[in-house]
Amino acid sequence: MEAKNLKKFEQEMNTCIRCAYCSEECPVIVQKGWDTDGARGKVALSYGLLSGDLEPTQSIADKLFQCTLCRNCESKCPSGVEVCDIITSARADLVEKGYASDIHNTVIKNIKETGNIYGDTEVMAPLQEGEVPLFVGCQYLSRPNKTKKYIKILEKLGINVKVGREICCGFPMEVLGFKDDLEKHKGQFKVLFPHKEAITLCPTCTVFLRVGHDVDAKHILQIILDKLPEANLDMKVTFHDPCDFSRGLKIIDEPRQILEKLGVEVVEMKNNKGNSSCCGGGGGLLMSDSKLSDDIALARIRQAIDTGADTVITTCPTCETVLKKAATQIKELEGKDIVVRNIEDIIWKGLK
Amino acid sequence: MVELDIEKLREIVGKENVSDDIADLYVYSSDASVHQAMPSVVVRPGKTEEVQEILRYANQNKIPVVARGAGSGMSGHAVPIDGGIVLDMKRMNRILDIRPEDLLVKVEPGVINDELNKVLKPHNFFFPPTPSSGNICTIGGMIGTNASGNRAVKYGGTRDAVLGLKVVLANGDLVTLGTNTKTDASGYQLARLIVGSEGTLGIVVEATLLISPLPKFKAMAVANFDKLEDAGNAISKVMSSGITPSMVELMDNVAITAVNKALGLGLPDVSAIIIFECNGMVKEAVDYEMNAITKICEVHNGSGIKMTDDPKEMARIYEGRKKLFPSLSRFGDGLVSTSLADDMAVPVSKIAIAVHEIHEIAKRNNVVMSAYGHCGSGLIHTKILMDPTKESQWEDAKKAVAETYEFVRSIGGTTSGEHGIALSKAPAMKLERKDSLEMMRAIKRALDPNNILNPHKMMDAPDDWTTATRLRYNVRGGQ
Ligand SMILES: Cc1cc2nc3c(=O)[nH]c(=O)nc-3n(C[C@H](O)[C@H](O)[C@H](O)COP(=O)(O)OP(=O)(O)OC[C@H]3O[C@@H](n4cnc5c(N)ncnc54)[C@H](O)[C@@H]3O)c2cc1C
Ligand code: SF4
Ligand code: SF4
Repeated sequence: MEAKNLKKFEQEMNTCIRCAYCSEECPVIVQKGWDTDGARGKVALSYGLLSGDLEPTQSIADKLFQCTLCRNCESKCPSGVEVCDIITSARADLVEKGYASDIHNTVIKNIKETGNIYGDTEVMAPLQEGEVPLFVGCQYLSRPNKTKKYIKILEKLGINVKVGREICCGFPMEVLGFKDDLEKHKGQFKVLFPHKEAITLCPTCTVFLRVGHDVDAKHILQIILDKLPEANLDMKVTFHDPCDFSRGLKIIDEPRQILEKLGVEVVEMKNNKGNSSCCGGGGGLLMSDSKLSDDIALARIRQAIDTGADTVITTCPTCETVLKKAATQIKELEGKDIVVRNIEDIIWKGLK
Repeated sequence: MVELDIEKLREIVGKENVSDDIADLYVYSSDASVHQAMPSVVVRPGKTEEVQEILRYANQNKIPVVARGAGSGMSGHAVPIDGGIVLDMKRMNRILDIRPEDLLVKVEPGVINDELNKVLKPHNFFFPPTPSSGNICTIGGMIGTNASGNRAVKYGGTRDAVLGLKVVLANGDLVTLGTNTKTDASGYQLARLIVGSEGTLGIVVEATLLISPLPKFKAMAVANFDKLEDAGNAISKVMSSGITPSMVELMDNVAITAVNKALGLGLPDVSAIIIFECNGMVKEAVDYEMNAITKICEVHNGSGIKMTDDPKEMARIYEGRKKLFPSLSRFGDGLVSTSLADDMAVPVSKIAIAVHEIHEIAKRNNVVMSAYGHCGSGLIHTKILMDPTKESQWEDAKKAVAETYEFVRSIGGTTSGEHGIALSKAPAMKLERKDSLEMMRAIKRALDPNNILNPHKMMDAPDDWTTATRLRYNVRGGQ
């Protein structure tokens, strides 16, 4: 097949020495066990598609879409191979050949038609005038109470944000392989969000505003860290680093410092900070293979339970949703209890 | 193409553990070597009886069976040159018995080296053979290749750490080889014969391994050398002085450039850097040895010598060294690292001239070659940095490989010190061990008369490694 997106990565793929260091903690191989499931396997499949050794098949497409784009592989690769860019390029070439799943097609159609991933015409941004532009993003737009909480937190700390009508940042187009659509979408995005800097709520939007739109996006936690007054919530929790937070944005200390300020003790999970394990919800996996996504989430929630903490805090709405489901499942399966909360709830509590 | 009864295999291991899907076949067609050949099916057994049944079936039907651990072998070990069944052993990953009081542990072959060490740590023990790939490679693969690593200079390689094995033979029979003790004079040393046999004589299903108490104290020193010759002399002097370092690692300038680029380590731009490590139970003894090493380095014009026993600093140095090989791919100029001529061993006093000659060979043949490795045991790693998409570069590489091994033989060295032979080193080994090739073949015939176990490897591999299989790169014509 013509692999126009992968072509740009030929040298990068030649650089790969096939050592499999990247597969060591790839959440997909950890669950499924075949070499094909690990990051090295995905690089090999991509290379096969590029060289023409492989013609696209559904099974090859499935393997390349079974990836949460958690970047654990990249953090382990001593050759610095851009595994995730290779995988999204392979996806883009496969999508051109008609291998997008129905659900992925629907999400992209939704973005194109309604500006958000849900296809919900009722979704409204909490429009307001202010000084600094705030980008809310689809996930928070669909969770209006959480968004309000964050805006109130900012207000209490003396930061007035401006919220306008917005559309999806386009990240799903990038990761699901709809690169041509993304290029068109970027133009529309710029019209509605012409700002050079922004405060963001969702880790993933933060990454993509930076790399996809050249916006100097700062996650809200980076903004409020210094302004937040101390509190004494007297809680013991564990912290789940979302992949886009710890590996994407390299924001590792800030959430822990915030929790410390609020009097919350953090006990670390086995995999933490830059080596955090994925919740299973990224890269479109939640939509394309919910069973695998659930299994990855269960493994993560088990790590959280093993810390002895009764609450796990995170900073990403997708991680929160996925881990909450896993917490319910673990209760049913193993009778174990753990509460999942997003950090804005804790900050809100600390400020009250 | 081999005719296979996939249903039969599904019955043996369960349908979820068998695949003939193109995606799986393609991924299992290559490892960390330059080679590639498609299997007919991938099977993932979970217990010994399943391995026995698979082999009985394969032997009756003369179907090749290639065991695979992590597929980190560098010479095409797990590449199924004749197709057939690839047996992914990673599901058999239980640690069966930990007996520090007997200095041994019993494990299944799919256990990962580092996982074993994590489990042994609370017992204050460790499994000494430590390949750089310890985070991914399996005990079965280590036995298959007779792997060793940084610490072999003090503790020996895998062959020194295998006390006993349970092995499924080609006909499906299960045999127990070796014993539970360090000394064993009871007949042929058959467990040792299996170590390094690259899956050609039997499938290891259980291993009894010798473990060692974790040393209480450890220190490292790093020394820079402006001349390779000085570095070589320093290594030889240290090794012959009665000191027992636990690690002696050399990095040449090509390697230094590559790790600096890839990992930003900021190492000095010198001809060679040597990392020494000593360990033991008595701090004064470790300090004494480290001081003696430092003095030897000074006498041989070593500079910027730094000694440390700070665990964080030692971990940083060690991590940098562990990631050296993959880092070579970031050397630049469109050149990438290929696993060729990768692990010869030479008498310790010959290290400097060997490294020097390797650089000359590289220049003559339009490739870049680095030299680094566990030099305290004479082991030199070289990798060929080249543009693998150009056909002409493979001709260059072929000549460079042949010239390198010819030189290694001329100074009394050997083709492989730790990674094994498989395909890409077979032509050189056949020249080096020409007297014993028939003996090897006789052993192979006796244990595997139908030639089903990893056929056409080592002594039976093709004479031209560049055409032994297709190359896993997208090779195009042109200069
Ligand atoms: C980055 C990198 C660094 C490395 N560093 C080192 C190093 O420092 N030292 C070193 O020695 N090697 C090193 N290697 C090479 C490689 O990791 C070792 O040879 C390792 O022992 C191979 O283990 P594996 O599980 O990957 O085996 P595989 O590559 O899967 O197999 C290797 C061989 O063992 C056979 N085998 C596997 N399992 C069994 C079994 N159960 N029974 C019988 N035969 C079996 C296979 O058939 C094959 O012939 C390195 C490789 C890489 C990629
Ligand atoms: S760690 Fe990097 S070099 Fe190694 S197999 Fe993965 S992508 Fe390739
Ligand atoms: S991004 Fe995560 S899931 Fe995808 S290959 Fe890398 S480690 Fe595996």
